[in-house]
Amino acid sequence: MNTKWKLFLIATLAFPAQQVLSQDWMVPSDHTALTNPSEYNLENIKKGKELYTRNCQSCHGDPGKNNPLALLPLPVDIASERMHANSEGDLFYKITTGRGVMPPFESTISENERWKLINFIMNFKPGGNQLLVDAPPVKVKLLASVNENKSTVEILAEREDAESTGLENAPVIISAKKTFGNIELGRAITNENGRAEFTIPENVIGDEEGYVSIVVSMGDGYDAHEVALEKAKVGKNKVVPRLIKGEVLWSTNNNIQLWLLLSYISAAGGAWLVIGYAIYQIIKIKKLSKSS
Amino acid sequence: MNKIESPEESRKKFDRIFTDLTRSIVKKDELTRFWFFILLMFIGVGLWGWIIQIDKGLGVTGMRDYVSWGLYIANFVFFVAVSLVGLLISSVLQLLNFSWGKTISRAAEQIAIATVALAGIIIVMDMGRPDRLLNVFLHGRFASPIVWDLTVVSTYLAISVLLFYIPLIPDLAIMRDRMGSKVPAWKLKIYTILALGWNGNPQQYAIVYHAVRVLMILIIPIGLSIHTVTSWLFAATLRPGWDSTIFGPYFVVGAFVAGTAALIILMYVYRLRYGLKDYFDDFHFDKMGRLLVLVCLVYLYFNINEFLVPAYKMKSAEGVHLKDLFSGAYAFLFWFVQIAGIALPIVLIRIKYFRKPLPLSIISVFVLFSAWFKRYLIVIPTMEHPFLPVQNVPEHFHHYAPTSTEIMIMLFSFFTSIFIISVLAKFFPVITIWEYAEEKGIDRKYFTEKS
Repeated sequence: MNTKWKLFLIATLAFPAQQVLSQDWMVPSDHTALTNPSEYNLENIKKGKELYTRNCQSCHGDPGKNNPLALLPLPVDIASERMHANSEGDLFYKITTGRGVMPPFESTISENERWKLINFIMNFKPGGNQLLVDAPPVKVKLLASVNENKSTVEILAEREDAESTGLENAPVIISAKKTFGNIELGRAITNENGRAEFTIPENVIGDEEGYVSIVVSMGDGYDAHEVALEKAKVGKNKVVPRLIKGEVLWSTNNNIQLWLLLSYISAAGGAWLVIGYAIYQIIKIKKLSKSS
Repeated sequence: MNKIESPEESRKKFDRIFTDLTRSIVKKDELTRFWFFILLMFIGVGLWGWIIQIDKGLGVTGMRDYVSWGLYIANFVFFVAVSLVGLLISSVLQLLNFSWGKTISRAAEQIAIATVALAGIIIVMDMGRPDRLLNVFLHGRFASPIVWDLTVVSTYLAISVLLFYIPLIPDLAIMRDRMGSKVPAWKLKIYTILALGWNGNPQQYAIVYHAVRVLMILIIPIGLSIHTVTSWLFAATLRPGWDSTIFGPYFVVGAFVAGTAALIILMYVYRLRYGLKDYFDDFHFDKMGRLLVLVCLVYLYFNINEFLVPAYKMKSAEGVHLKDLFSGAYAFLFWFVQIAGIALPIVLIRIKYFRKPLPLSIISVFVLFSAWFKRYLIVIPTMEHPFLPVQNVPEHFHHYAPTSTEIMIMLFSFFTSIFIISVLAKFFPVITIWEYAEEKGIDRKYFTEKS
């Protein structure tokens, strides 16, 4: 059961309480009147974004996309009208104290930072002056190959437009495909030609023969199909533990202990030889009756 | 051995023995037909049950995830056990020169053949996909007790058949020469073929003695291993109640108890049905009674070991298992088996009266029934008490009860083994004629004389 579902379960179990709580979140009037001491500028908004990504996004979702976690009550999108019905003082109070499934952040986020977080929320105020604007994702054509000898991944990122110019100074994520998802190995920044080279760490563990499947992708702000490079021999051999340690009597035919096999064959073979001998005696009786 | 000099007397005496011992073959009456009708009817019912099981799968049985060995395996162990009487009577007693064993050794071999053959069939009937039987041979692991079991069961069957057949060859010749019009021509033809043209020369007798002796010696290790390996199927797994070092001898001795009881019952049936009072006489029953007491005493000793030692410690899972046997759901069956199957014969058969044919046979019926339930108690309660807790499964997975289909298939095995014994008795004398006659001092030259 993943965290999402656990939270959902907890939220469901606490349903009656939340029904009451979700009615209205009263904020003492002295708090409502508070003004934001942190200046509304790009720098503070960026800092607020960082804090939001770390502390809030997992429940409240991406601003404006209305994709919160399925909790009860539903976390409110920070770009929504409902969010912005709160004054900055209200938001500060609610972030500080928390309620129901929303935890209090009094001890985890400093007062100064909480105000910067509110700067970020204010960036999405409907009809407000939006300072931090996310550019539409850049469409990228991503090419990559593995150089097994040098143990590197060579990357070429091009803009997907008529000229196919190289994408400069863009972060590329290099991951290894594992059973339960991709594990990030590191990032590379493209040069002026849109090229980048990433040296695969020596301690990457591949399959039993050392083969690693490399996945090259790009982060937020870019629209690129990820490139999967299957089975490159760039990792260490995975040591698979033998399930049967040491000598056991109950092993498979391939691992059978010789003395056991010989005992079986000699005992069974011996018995059937004697049976064969007895049958030979029967034949002898038959022969004797013909001869006389 | 008191040699009878007069040829006339010898001939007369041999005639009488021949008539008595071939009565089972010649006898034709309503009862025989009715008997075979009953047998075939139950065999048919059992086969029908098997068809249901093949059609619907093993889900028609009471076996589920936890109790995956049920009535069939208990029945299998019982049949292997009973078959061991062949080893005890026709080998051990003969090699120890107990001459009274000669008379009953063919009956013992009949039981051995019928039960060990069925033991193999029961295993196939316990398979969910019997059509994949060949895979056991093709992909069997040599380190697996199941493969060992398969090997010893088939080897034991082969030796038992030979031990039945080789001493029968002179008898077949006698019947070929003397039966004449008493039996249908096809039966006579079978005798002629199987007799291998026996003409009774001393070399042939020497070969018979030699071959039988070789097989008698061979059957001892094979017979001991057949039931020891069967016990290893249990003892080699890590489960409460099976995790025992004395399981091998415990099973072997238990088998002697079951087999001896079965033979006593069969002797009594032959004695009554074929008028063999002078052959299976009070002396034989007396000896068999004493033998039953002996094996029961040894079995008692093993039972005390098997239950007292773990009961002294009452280790967690083992304790749950033992409490269920001693005072729980299986208490009645457990104490019935111990009392009727071991204590009762030990106490009663020591009294001379109870070694008479009828009382001894009645006690043997109890012993045989107890022996069957004993196998049930060895297999099922252990399966119900695994080391890991049984959880998150439907209620009916916790306990096992055989279904009607299982009982039908079990009846098949019982009636088929009785059918095999009945057919053997209908075709071949139940006591070796030539050996018995020789014992009575009749010269071999009279055996092959045409009457």
